Amino acid sequence: MDATTLQVISIAFVLMTALLVYTARYQQGRRGRRRNWRRMPALERLPGWTARSIEADKPLHCAFGGAAIGGEHTAAACASAEFFHHVIAGAQQSDSAPIVSTAAATTLPLAQDNLRRAWEGNALSRAQWYPTGERSLAYAAGLTAALQDSDEPAAHLLAGSFGPELALLLDAADRRGQGSLAVSDQLEGQAVAYAMADAVLIGEELFAAPAYVSEEGRAGIDAAALDAWRGLLILFLALLLLFNLARALAPQNWLIIVLGGAALLLLAAVLSRRG
Amino acid sequence: MNDDFNWLEYAEPLAEAPPAPRPSALQRLRARFGWLRLPGLMRRLRLPKLRRRRGGQNADAGYALLEARDERPISQLDARLLALRERAEPAINAEAALSTVDELLTTPPLQEKPGGLISAAALSQAQRQQVQMLQDIVGAPAPAAASGEPARLGALPGLTLGGAPRLLLAVSMLLAVCLPFVASEYVVDELPPSDFGGDRADAAAAFEQLNTLTGTDYVLVALEYGPTSAGELDQLTDLFLRQIFAQRAKPLIVSSNPIAIAHAQNIIKRINGSVAAAGLKLVNNADYFLLRYLPGGALGTRELRENFADVARVSARGELINRNFKALTDMKLLLLVAESIDVMRNWVEQVLPASQRLTLLAATGYAAQPLAQAYADSQERIIGIIAGARDAYTYAEKLEAAYSTFKPEGAPQAPLPQPTAPPLTPAPESEIEAPALIATVASPVPAAATASPTPLASPTVPSIPSVTPPPTASPTPPPSPTPEPVWLVEVTSEDTARIRRGPTTVDDILQLAYAGDTFEVIGTNGDGSWYNILLSPRINGWIAAFLVEERYEAGGATAADASASLPREQTLLRWDYRASLGKNQPRLYQVNPTDTSIDWEYVLLRDRSLEAPRLAALSLGTLAAALIIVIGSVVGALRAIGGRRQPPASEAKS
Amino acid sequence: MGFLQRLGSAFSAIIAFLVGVITLVSLLLGGNPGLFGDLPQAADLAALLALPAAVLLRLVALVIALGVLIGIANLLLTHAQRLMRGRALSAALLGSFALTLFWYVARAGDTSLLEAVQLPIESSLAALLCLTLVGGAARVIAKRADIWSLLFVLSLLIVLLASLPWAELEPLRAWRDWLLRVPVSAGTRALLLGIALATVVAGVRIALGQDRAYRG
Repeated sequence: MDATTLQVISIAFVLMTALLVYTARYQQGRRGRRRNWRRMPALERLPGWTARSIEADKPLHCAFGGAAIGGEHTAAACASAEFFHHVIAGAQQSDSAPIVSTAAATTLPLAQDNLRRAWEGNALSRAQWYPTGERSLAYAAGLTAALQDSDEPAAHLLAGSFGPELALLLDAADRRGQGSLAVSDQLEGQAVAYAMADAVLIGEELFAAPAYVSEEGRAGIDAAALDAWRGLLILFLALLLLFNLARALAPQNWLIIVLGGAALLLLAAVLSRRG
Repeated sequence: MNDDFNWLEYAEPLAEAPPAPRPSALQRLRARFGWLRLPGLMRRLRLPKLRRRRGGQNADAGYALLEARDERPISQLDARLLALRERAEPAINAEAALSTVDELLTTPPLQEKPGGLISAAALSQAQRQQVQMLQDIVGAPAPAAASGEPARLGALPGLTLGGAPRLLLAVSMLLAVCLPFVASEYVVDELPPSDFGGDRADAAAAFEQLNTLTGTDYVLVALEYGPTSAGELDQLTDLFLRQIFAQRAKPLIVSSNPIAIAHAQNIIKRINGSVAAAGLKLVNNADYFLLRYLPGGALGTRELRENFADVARVSARGELINRNFKALTDMKLLLLVAESIDVMRNWVEQVLPASQRLTLLAATGYAAQPLAQAYADSQERIIGIIAGARDAYTYAEKLEAAYSTFKPEGAPQAPLPQPTAPPLTPAPESEIEAPALIATVASPVPAAATASPTPLASPTVPSIPSVTPPPTASPTPPPSPTPEPVWLVEVTSEDTARIRRGPTTVDDILQLAYAGDTFEVIGTNGDGSWYNILLSPRINGWIAAFLVEERYEAGGATAADASASLPREQTLLRWDYRASLGKNQPRLYQVNPTDTSIDWEYVLLRDRSLEAPRLAALSLGTLAAALIIVIGSVVGALRAIGGRRQPPASEAKS
Repeated sequence: MGFLQRLGSAFSAIIAFLVGVITLVSLLLGGNPGLFGDLPQAADLAALLALPAAVLLRLVALVIALGVLIGIANLLLTHAQRLMRGRALSAALLGSFALTLFWYVARAGDTSLLEAVQLPIESSLAALLCLTLVGGAARVIAKRADIWSLLFVLSLLIVLLASLPWAELEPLRAWRDWLLRVPVSAGTRALLLGIALATVVAGVRIALGQDRAYRG
C-alpha cells in the first residue's frame, strides 16, 4: 500500500469517526435515556468502594500512571481523567479528599483540573507527581510506601498507562485490604492487572467506562462511537475470514458462500442488537 | 449519651429484633469482633493505629465497615445520616436499656465460610433483612454468592499469601538465584550456543551488520530504558558499543529518557576502563556523542526525524557538536535498545519513514522478545532482534570469535606509548577559530577502508592504523602517486538489493543495498553471476550480477562508505568546551594523529567470569518461580473445590 | 456559571477546536505531493500544508519539556505539605533532592549519585517486582477460580518452563511458539486494535471541542 492510499484511508477513517461522534452526540441528546450497555462487572464494585470512602473517611486514590499528555497515551490520559471525574464527584460526601497521582508531569495540570472541577469538599487536595517515565518503579514504590501507609486509601483506581510496576501497587493494596480496579493501555500492565487486581477493565473498556459511572448523556458519546466502530471492524474481519475460507473451500462457488455468510452475519448482528 | 455514634446500636432496632432463642447475628458479630473497638481507645490514648492483615474481600465485609463506623463522631455526620439517626433514636435507647441481654446469652464463635462473611453466617429471614438494610444504607455490594460471582477465596485468612508463605516465596527464590554464585557445581551447564543458528538468522544478520561498520560510519544508538531494566539491557548496550568502537565507528547516543543518557555516560566510563590498558580514552564529542534528550515520547522521536540536524548539534550537556550532520541518512544504522514493544513500535513508526535507506537493529529484554519478534517479522527494515541475557551471551561469544586473532596479552609486552595529548586537555598545537577550521576540515577524502581489503576469512586481523587518543578520523593511507584502478560495482536495481553471505539466494542476508551504492569487488563466482564484494575491511559479501553494473575507477572510493555522505576529516579535531566557556566562539584544537601502533581492539576486553553463573541463576530462578506458581495454583484450586462442595452454613443449619 | 466564565470556556473550546482541526488537516494532507495528483505546485502545496503541524508539534514538545519543571514544583510542594503534617519520609526526599542538585551543579555533571544510589535501588525494586509478580501469579487461581484463570496460569507455566535451557523441555518450546504466535498474537492485536480505535475516537471528540475541560 503506497503512502497516498494510506493517507486517503486515514482521512476517510477520521472523517467517519467525526461523523460517528456527532451522530452519537445527537442520539444521546434525542433519546435522553441510557442505551443498553454491555456489562462491565468491574464497575459494579465501584459503589462499594465509594461508600467505604464516605463512611470510613478514607480517600479514593486515582492514578494515571505514565499516561502523559502529548505522547501516544494522551487519549488514555483524557479517558482516565473523565472516568476519575465521575468517580470523584460520586465520592463527594467523604471527608477525605481523593488523591490523584501521576508519573507524567504533563498530566499534572489535567489531574489538578480534575480535582478542582469534581471535588467540592472541604478538604484541600493536590494531585501528586512521582517521577518519572513510562515505566516508573519510583512511582510505584513511592505510592506504595507513602500513600498506602499514611493515607490508607479506601480503594485504588489505577486507570491509564502502567507497566509491570503495577504489581507492586496491587500487591500492597491487596495486603492492606484496599480495593483495586486496574486497566492499562500497555500490554504488560494489562496482564498484571488481570492477574492481580480485584476488578479489571480490559483495553478499550477504559474509554467506555466514563459512560457507566456518569449520569450525563454526553459521557456516552465515546462509548457509542466506539461500539459502532467495533461492530464495523468485527463485521469487516468476519467477512474477510469468510471470503478467505470460501476461496479455499469452494473456488467455484465462493461468491455464493460469501453472500450467504454475509447475510447470516447481518441477521446475527440484527438479532443480537434486538436481544 | 457519648459522642461516638454506635453503628451497631443504630443498625439493630430492638423493635425488629426477632425473639429468637439465639442471639442475633449482629450481636454475635459484636461479641466476636469486640476488639475492633480498640482503635477508638487507642486514638484517645494517642497511640499509633494497629494494622491488621486482611484479605481483599474481608475489607468489603460488614465488620470492616463497622470498624470504620466506630471512629466517626456525631458532629461529623452529614445531614442525610443525621436524619437517619434521628429516626432510629428510639430503638437505640431501647437497646441501651437492655444491654445486659448480651451477657446472659452465650455467643458461639462465628465461623467464616466461603462466599463472604454475611452470607455464610446462620441468619434468619429477619436478620437477613437487617443485613440488607445495613447494606442499603452504606451502599455496600451484595455478597458475592448472591450476585452470582465466583467465590473469592482470597478472603479466607489461610489463603492470603501474607506472612509465612510470602517469606517462604522470597527465601526460595533468593536461594535459587544465589546458589549458582556460591556453589558452582550446581551451575546449569547448558550454556547458550556460541552462534545464532536455526531460526535466529535475523540475530546473526544484526551482528554482521554491526561488523560491517567502518571508521567513517556513524550509528544512532537509542537507549530507551530506565534503571529498572538496566540490569538486563546494560549488557547488550555494552556489547554493541564495544563492537561499534572496535569497528572505529562512532555512536550518537540518544534517548527520550533523560536518565538513560546520564547512564550511558557510565557505560562508556566502564568501556574506558578496558581501553585504559592500551593508554587510550574514549572522548565525548569525538569518539561518541551524547545527544540531548528527546522530550515527549513519540513527539520527541518525530522531532528527531524531522529536525535531526538541530537535535544532533547540541550534546546532552549543552555543548556544541562540531559535526555537520544534516539528516538521519548520515547514520549508517539505527540501533535501538528498548525495554518495551511500545517504544520499539514508536521508533519504527516515527523514525524509519525518514528514509528508505534506514534500517533498525533492535534489542529488548527477554520479556518483550515474543512480541518484539512478531513485530520485527512483519517489518522488513528491522534487521534483527537481540533479546535478553541468553542472546547477550551468544552475542559476546560471536564477538569474541570475530576478533579471536586479537591477543591482548601480547600487546602490553611492547610498552605502549602513552598518548601525548590527553583527550580533554590536549596541548594545543595551534588554536584556530572555529569558522576557519571548519572550512579546512570538510574536504572529501576517500576513506581508509580501501587501504586493507582483507576478506573475513583472513587469518589475521588487518592492522588498521589507529590514531591516538581516539581514532576519530578515518586512518588515511599514504597517498599513492599512481593509484591502481579499482574494480567496482554500482547497484542499479530500483528495488532493494540483498547482499548475502554466499553466492546463492539461500544464503543469509548480510545487509541491504540501494540504487547508487558502490562496492569494491574482490572476485566473482564460477560463472560470473555473483560478485564477491567488500563491505568493510573485515567483511565481504555476495551480490547478484544482474543487480549491479561494473566499472573501474582510479584509486577510488569504495563501497563501505558509499552511504556516508559526511565530510572526512584529515586531521583529528577536538573542540574543548571547557576552553570555550564564557566565550562566544568555540575554540578548536588541532591534534596530530601521531601514534599508529595502538590496537583499538582493547575495547573488547570484558570480564565475563560471571556470565555463566548469572545464566544459571536465571534458569534456577525461573524454575523456582514455576514451582511456586504450580504450588500456589494447586492449593488455590483445592480450596476452591472444597469451598464449593461445602454447603452454605445457613442451609445446613436451617 | 458566570458570563465571563462561560465566555472563557467558549474561547478555550474554539482555540482547541481550531488547533485540533488545523493539526489534523495538516497531518493528513501535508507532506505527500502524490495526494494532489498532477498539480504543478503539488510539492509546494504539500510542504506548505505540512508546516502548521510541524510548528505546533514542536511547540507541544517544548511545553512537554517544560512540564518537568511543573512536576518538580509539584513534587516539592506536595512533600513540603506532607512534612508539615509530620511525615518524616518527605524530609528525606526534600533533603536528597537538594543534595543531588548541589552535587550535579558543583561537580559539573557528575552522575555518580545516579549510579551509586538510584540504579541499585531501582534494580532492587525490579527484583522485588519479580517476587511480587510470582506471588501474584501463584494467587491467580485463589483469587478467581474460573477457567480463564486456569488458562492464564497454564500459559504462563508453558512460557516459563520453555525458556529453560534443558533439552528435555523441547516439546514445550513448540507449544510456547504456537501460543505466542497464535493466541497471544491475536489477543495482543485485538487489544491494540481496540485501544487504537478508542484513541482515534477520543482524539476526534477532543479535537471537536467536546471534552469536559472546555466547559469552564
